[in-house]
Amino acid sequence: MIEKNFEGVSVRWVIALKGEAEEIIKNYAMERVETTPFPVYKNKDLDMWLILSGIGQLNAVAATSYLYVKSDASYNTIWINFGIVGSRNFKVGDLIQIDKITSSDFQDNYYPSPSAFKNNNIERCNLISVNKPEKLFESDGAYDMEGYGFFSFAKKIAPYELVSVLKIISDAPGTDLSKIDRHRVEILVSKKIQFIEKVLENLLDLQKIIFLQLRDPKYFDEICLQKKFTFSQKVTLRKYLTQWQARFPLRNPLEEIGQRMTASQILKKFSDNLLR
Amino acid sequence: MVDTIYVEDEIIGTKKAQEIISKFRHAKVTSIKRFGEVFNPSNQNFRIQKTNPALILAKKQKGFVLDAPKGFGIGDQDNYYFSHMYNCLYDCSYCFLQGMYNSANYLVFVNFHDYQNEIVKTIKRHKEKKVTFFTGYDCDSLAMEPITNFINDFIPFFSRYKKALFEIRTKSINNTVFRKHDPLANCIVAYSLMPEALAQILDKKAPSVSARIKNMKYLANKGWRIGLRFDPLIYCNNWKDQYAELFANIFKEIKEENIHSVSFGSLRFPKSFFNKLLQYYPNSEELSFLRSNDKGIISYDQSIENEMNEYCRLELMKYSDARKFFYCG
Repeated sequence: MIEKNFEGVSVRWVIALKGEAEEIIKNYAMERVETTPFPVYKNKDLDMWLILSGIGQLNAVAATSYLYVKSDASYNTIWINFGIVGSRNFKVGDLIQIDKITSSDFQDNYYPSPSAFKNNNIERCNLISVNKPEKLFESDGAYDMEGYGFFSFAKKIAPYELVSVLKIISDAPGTDLSKIDRHRVEILVSKKIQFIEKVLENLLDLQKIIFLQLRDPKYFDEICLQKKFTFSQKVTLRKYLTQWQARFPLRNPLEEIGQRMTASQILKKFSDNLLR
Repeated sequence: MVDTIYVEDEIIGTKKAQEIISKFRHAKVTSIKRFGEVFNPSNQNFRIQKTNPALILAKKQKGFVLDAPKGFGIGDQDNYYFSHMYNCLYDCSYCFLQGMYNSANYLVFVNFHDYQNEIVKTIKRHKEKKVTFFTGYDCDSLAMEPITNFINDFIPFFSRYKKALFEIRTKSINNTVFRKHDPLANCIVAYSLMPEALAQILDKKAPSVSARIKNMKYLANKGWRIGLRFDPLIYCNNWKDQYAELFANIFKEIKEENIHSVSFGSLRFPKSFFNKLLQYYPNSEELSFLRSNDKGIISYDQSIENEMNEYCRLELMKYSDARKFFYCG
């Protein structure tokens, strides 16, 4: 379950097709908020959004960047690419978490963080992103058409540990691709929804750690409202208030500030107090 | 312990890589081209990775032996360090590695022979002069010994070069490797130490200070030469009492003649490292005394630093010859 009261929760799903997304949309009670250029869904209480990117690397990158801007996603946001894939070495219906992403077009490889895999007992696998549906399956691993594009962008806007690629095997060598219809995909996803929830729960735990690291120290906003600080003074103030909290947890720094003090006098006062 | 191993394609078939991989039967092994693909990307979170570090096996390509920082040494004029591994099993709050690297994954370079070749060249370059080689700065070599067998390889190697001093800096109490080899006159087992109460808060996952002292005593009795490293010295409310007690406890157990050298230096960081640390440990009282100095280094106020160095020097002189003291700053 997602802790609704925790202010740091922020999740974005990037999924190619409606059939793949349907169970996620239902499970997390999301509603459509936009139709073009990409269909976008949102939970009304939580900062959780989902975008249908369409098929292919370009669509994946475009949709991820669109959702990033549209939803005003913070740095501390979980990004998940979910969808169906083909594989020669997994069974249809298996849920897999991707630990290496390669592309048929690019040399760089990506490696989602092992922190995201901890304690969930979900099979791990490498992903090969290709430009057209794979039929030959020459290598072990999973084949898709979006993962590489998604990851190449998402890793720039969020910590590595919060970017995950999760897939369900829908086809193997010899599968008649025309028979993988929306209904069949929805069934595959619904059978694994509790495991998908578990992956998200683990990511939310990691998000909480980062949220606490990035949070401004107590009284920072109040002091910045009272006096005008330059950017570099704010950096120093943030540092001093963090140190203040650790050293004098019972002393309110606001009480140290005289009405006529300038920003630099305030910083000097904090610095002097913290010296010993 | 490790559930993910990344291995560079170039070394996956080597004996050393296979030997290490075989110690983690349940780990998922993933091939990589170069370690930088996993270790270097920005946007990684060191603290999160520290909860579940992966192991990376790689080949070091260059920079096997590096000059030690200026003012750093234990007597010899020429000082070098080398790192066969980046990152550490322990999780000390003040560790500069978390400010230095993007990743907390353990990175092990398996081509030990290339390091040894470079060390030999360095020794030859210095002809008759004594040279010191430090290890254990970017990792705790001894703590990872069961995995890497690094010290087991390097003790016999340094036994052939008597003019070279080999320092192993550690907090580990693993003494298996020192039981396997005869004591080496040119090898110093140097222990990082701080008062027990501080270590309980700051030296997470590391053995207690009393266990370290016990192990030093064991090694000293076996004939190994011991180094005492009070670096960093940590300022806190009753630091004088705490350090005095620590020194007394050490010298109660270990004879002065077994001590090769004593070094100390106060807590200090480059600015960017410190900012990351403060983000990771906002509630650390120990970090709250540090300030930026005019050289762009974050350290204690000069008066605190001088007072700590002087006090510790005088206290240590009660037990040991001051000619064995070295200041690192």
